Amino acid sequence: MKKYISCMKGIIYKELIRFLKQKSRFFSALVRPLLWLFIFSVGFKTALGLAITPPYETYITYETYIVPGLVGMVLLFNGMQSSLTMIFDREMGSMKILLTSYINRNYLLFCKMFATAIVSTLQALAFLFIAKWYGVEISYYGILITIPVIIISSIILNAFALFISSVIKQLENFATVMNFVIFPMFFLSSALYPLWKIKDSSILLFNLSSYNPFTYLVEAIRFALYEKFDTQIFLVIGISFIISLLMAFVGFKLKKV
Amino acid sequence: MNKNILELKNVDFSYGKKMVLNNISFKIRKGTFTVLLGLNGAGKSTIFSLITRLQNLQTGEIEINDYPIKNYSKALKDIGIVFQEPTLDLDLTVKQNLHYYGSLKGLTFKETLISIEDEIKKLELEDVLNTTVRNLNGGHRRRVEILRALINKPKLLLLDEPTVGLDLKSRFDILNYVRDLVKRENLSILWITHLFDEVNEDDDISIIKAGKIMDEGIVKDIVTKYEKDNLVDTFNFLVR
Repeated sequence: MKKYISCMKGIIYKELIRFLKQKSRFFSALVRPLLWLFIFSVGFKTALGLAITPPYETYITYETYIVPGLVGMVLLFNGMQSSLTMIFDREMGSMKILLTSYINRNYLLFCKMFATAIVSTLQALAFLFIAKWYGVEISYYGILITIPVIIISSIILNAFALFISSVIKQLENFATVMNFVIFPMFFLSSALYPLWKIKDSSILLFNLSSYNPFTYLVEAIRFALYEKFDTQIFLVIGISFIISLLMAFVGFKLKKV
Repeated sequence: MNKNILELKNVDFSYGKKMVLNNISFKIRKGTFTVLLGLNGAGKSTIFSLITRLQNLQTGEIEINDYPIKNYSKALKDIGIVFQEPTLDLDLTVKQNLHYYGSLKGLTFKETLISIEDEIKKLELEDVLNTTVRNLNGGHRRRVEILRALINKPKLLLLDEPTVGLDLKSRFDILNYVRDLVKRENLSILWITHLFDEVNEDDDISIIKAGKIMDEGIVKDIVTKYEKDNLVDTFNFLVR
């Protein structure tokens, strides 16, 4: 048992040191959602009317609506970047050290994804505090209880990213990943607009968004932020957690060095 | 008790349809400095990848310290590895890299440094422990990688072309240090190289060509067997 704890501790330790040393990475990860919050949402709010839908109990501003989606954006970008790095590193770098360990490889991959999730969570928290300072209605208690949801969501996205970057060779390039994975996942979700709004315009897009796991991650963050619980959302998250990890382990194993 | 620390039996390996290892068998005796000598593309690094489990074994058997490679939690427990490519994290200090690797071997940070206290001095790395790896020269980085490989007190140390890209002094400093480990710690070494001047006449050697072991034994015995003057002539004769 000691070796597993020590291993987890070491991997988190390394990720945190890298995170603290690469300040530019931290700021660029923050700038992206902040641009959406400070600029996009200001322009967009007049074009979009929001009805009262759960978990909200009153009318909310558009800035308030998109904050959970932008937290999802932080996790999505970070997960993709980290998973692509893992694939590259497998062929030429520090992942070799991890893969030649005598400890179970799936456990090591999980530790790596968990460590990335911790870093993503710190970035997401920084974003949430800035959003609160900006005037978005979120309570500190809401932020606190969202932390485990953010960690789990991040692990799901890291695992999914690891799977697709393992099995699809053409995705070993971040620009391609942006166009073919990140943007479709992000836009086909409830991150920027509620699903009922999409349904009004296109049933097909509504259906696609309803099957997009990212929608449920965003909704889980939204519900947690406002101290609410929805069984269906959390059930989907639980199933996604297990399936995405299995996909990541299998995908990584199949990946040719 | 088996006198071999590493044994490969009838190992074949292909990348797709291209066969790169063809019925490879060789062994490393405990407490010896064994060289795997071959030209580029001979299959040395593939053997290294199979022993370290970076590639999955397709056919044949690999045993490390009496454990089959499939039982990796035991087989890989007592080995140290130095890769041909740099694998240190450049943004971390030497000490942080060592801590990280120690944790992958199940050691606490304190245990990690205690386990290599003497070797830090012997490799003259005391002054760079808190230096970021990015600021070290190639020779220092290599020494750190060797130090790191010793953290778990391995019984077998695998080094894949560890002196590539280093100047002559650094190359022989590292080589002599590793040879000294065999004498001091009774460590078994697999030294993979294509450089003849790194081989001594008393070393165990396996000569590989195009995925086949051409011969193995003690260098001076092999030279005598083929009635040649030196290893270079013997090698040229075997791989011609």
